[in-house]
Amino acid sequence: MEILSVRDVVKVFGDVRAVDGVSFTVRKGTITGLLGRNGAGKTTTIRMITGIFFPDSGSIAWPGKDDGDFRDRIGYLPEERGLYKQMNVVELLLFLAEIKGRRGPDVRKSIDRWLDRFELGEKRASKVEELSKGNQQKVQLIGTLLHEPDLIILDEPQSGLDPVNMVLVRNLLRELKDEGRTILLSTHMMGEAEKMADDIVLIHRGKVVLGGSLDEVRGSFGKDTLHIDFEGDGEFLRDLPEVRRAAIVSNSAEITLAEGSDPQRILEAAMGRLRIRRFELATPSLEEIFIEKVGADTLQEVAS
Amino acid sequence: MNKMLAVLKREYLAGVRKKMFIVMTLIFPLFLGGVFYIPIIMMSKGLGEKTVAVVDGTGVLQETYAKSDDISKAIDDREASSSMHIEYIDAKGKADVDAAAKPSLDRMTETGARDKSKLDAVLVVPAKALDSSDVEVKFYSRSAADIITQERLASMTNRGIHAHRLAERGINADEATKILASAKVKSVQLSKSGEEKKGGGGNLIAGLLLTGLFMFPSFIYGLEIMRGIIQEKNDRVVEVLISSMTPKQLLTGKILGTALIGLTQVTAWLLMASVAAGFLGAAASEAGMNLVRFLHPMMFVYFAIFFILAYLTYVCIYAIAGASCNSDKEAQQLIAPISMLMMLPWFLVGVLITNPDSSLAVAFSLAPIFGPMTMFLRTLVADPPLWHIAVSVAVSIVTITLFFRVTAKIFRVGILAYGKRPTIPELWRWLKLA
Repeated sequence: MEILSVRDVVKVFGDVRAVDGVSFTVRKGTITGLLGRNGAGKTTTIRMITGIFFPDSGSIAWPGKDDGDFRDRIGYLPEERGLYKQMNVVELLLFLAEIKGRRGPDVRKSIDRWLDRFELGEKRASKVEELSKGNQQKVQLIGTLLHEPDLIILDEPQSGLDPVNMVLVRNLLRELKDEGRTILLSTHMMGEAEKMADDIVLIHRGKVVLGGSLDEVRGSFGKDTLHIDFEGDGEFLRDLPEVRRAAIVSNSAEITLAEGSDPQRILEAAMGRLRIRRFELATPSLEEIFIEKVGADTLQEVAS
Repeated sequence: MNKMLAVLKREYLAGVRKKMFIVMTLIFPLFLGGVFYIPIIMMSKGLGEKTVAVVDGTGVLQETYAKSDDISKAIDDREASSSMHIEYIDAKGKADVDAAAKPSLDRMTETGARDKSKLDAVLVVPAKALDSSDVEVKFYSRSAADIITQERLASMTNRGIHAHRLAERGINADEATKILASAKVKSVQLSKSGEEKKGGGGNLIAGLLLTGLFMFPSFIYGLEIMRGIIQEKNDRVVEVLISSMTPKQLLTGKILGTALIGLTQVTAWLLMASVAAGFLGAAASEAGMNLVRFLHPMMFVYFAIFFILAYLTYVCIYAIAGASCNSDKEAQQLIAPISMLMMLPWFLVGVLITNPDSSLAVAFSLAPIFGPMTMFLRTLVADPPLWHIAVSVAVSIVTITLFFRVTAKIFRVGILAYGKRPTIPELWRWLKLA
């Protein structure tokens, strides 16, 4: 079931068409990855969904949007984090809940639960400015979730987090999804999106260049990716006629095959010069797909 | 509504908990009191004890200076409380009075002298002072601006000279004192209803004081709200806020919250003032100012009405500046000339208060922005027609509503437009856009 549908949305700032006819839908109970490079139009799209900007044209619809204050049903974590630095943690969270229409003892209990979960229990009376950056981010994330929103919109939620906290956030998002919440996750970290997203929407220069479920998208690109782990100098792999593109990092290579070429030929060529440990034909990673769709375009632009 | 209240509550609590608020609430009255009270005290106390020498060429005025304190007490209260130590030097018969004054002048200028023997001033009365009508008494002092001492000595000397001239013409000392007694001038203002009220030189000071009480909170909290908006932009809190409520709710909450902080402060000041009034009133009347006569009940009503109107007008102007700028520095540059303009009535207090019904005063009091302060001044010193007051209030309310809308629009667009400050055409486009 769709919870959000964005249709032909356009937003122009001066001469820049920041968002140029974007359409996509978000299914209830899923994680949708909104992907794209910096400046692709992700944040502007999100700001229109959250009601900060009005679209110049197009529509944003979701069931029940017109009932009451639709803003109360969204939890939004902006990319650029910001909190009142002089307030203490609990006061701030109470305020954030209140502007989403929630108050009373339930909210306090909920705050305690969240703080314990994020190991911030003993910081509850600290001023925000006394917290580490990572902890401030956690507080803001709690503020985003406190009012139990139907739609959770997170703009780069993992930027600036250490690996441990990244895992913490990733697990949290999966958990929220299992509870039936819907998440729109904007990120440029393809690896993270790949680990979490059910659906993806790839935006480039204000336009959707790719969309659908992650499996479908990857399937449509076919099994044209080779993963090779080896010992020796693999640089020559780049120059083989069957190789369209190769990413070689020390002892492993991710190779995109040229159209119609036989991976067996690459194996033969490699066996003579390298000691092969792994040789796998697979669907491409999201990162590859991203470069495939967006990178070529960018390279051409640089060339011209 | 609830969201607006949430913002209002947060702004208010954050504001009154600031050290700056507490310090301002306690210190400002002391400061303001000091600014007006200390000069009064200083004037009345004559800036401490002065030691002066009088070199008297006539040789008959010793008595004048000896009992000077008694005489001056009878004639002028203000002089009585100060203390002046006069050394009398009889220079009668000396051919050159100036030469006789030389040692005294040396004592005045010599640097090594102990405080005790050092002179602050020297007055030289020439021998012919009693006879000639064209006579010059010389006053030497270390400080060119010691006008108070000069005035006092001059009036004592003249009184002495007058008394002696009268005595020479056969009028005895008692008669002379009666003849010389001067009449006091008391100013009374008649209102249209014929009732006597207010008036006096204290008007100007009271006007400055009360309009100061008008302006300072407006400017301080205007700046505060401007900084608050810029800070929220820089802290990026604003994105969370306006994804949770309309810009209008946010702005209303912020402005009313800040307004409440200002009102809290002014109320605290007024309470402190009424407590202090008992003490101050006595001191002020000693200084020739009867402040209490301004404190009639209607004044409080007008003060409350016009204060709130002035406050909201100014705070809106600052909020516009805050919403359209990205840094404190930028906003300061933008607001500096505007706030000078807003202060115009304050610079004109003297003119407005002396001519409260002039066309200038009427124009100012009915104009937007300047209205509240000028109108309040007029109610303070005159009885402006009721319809003037009504029009002034209406103009202010319309102005505030208009400002509010403009601010809300600029707020919505400007608050997320990071980067350079918008130009006027851009601001205009934002207004149409939002």
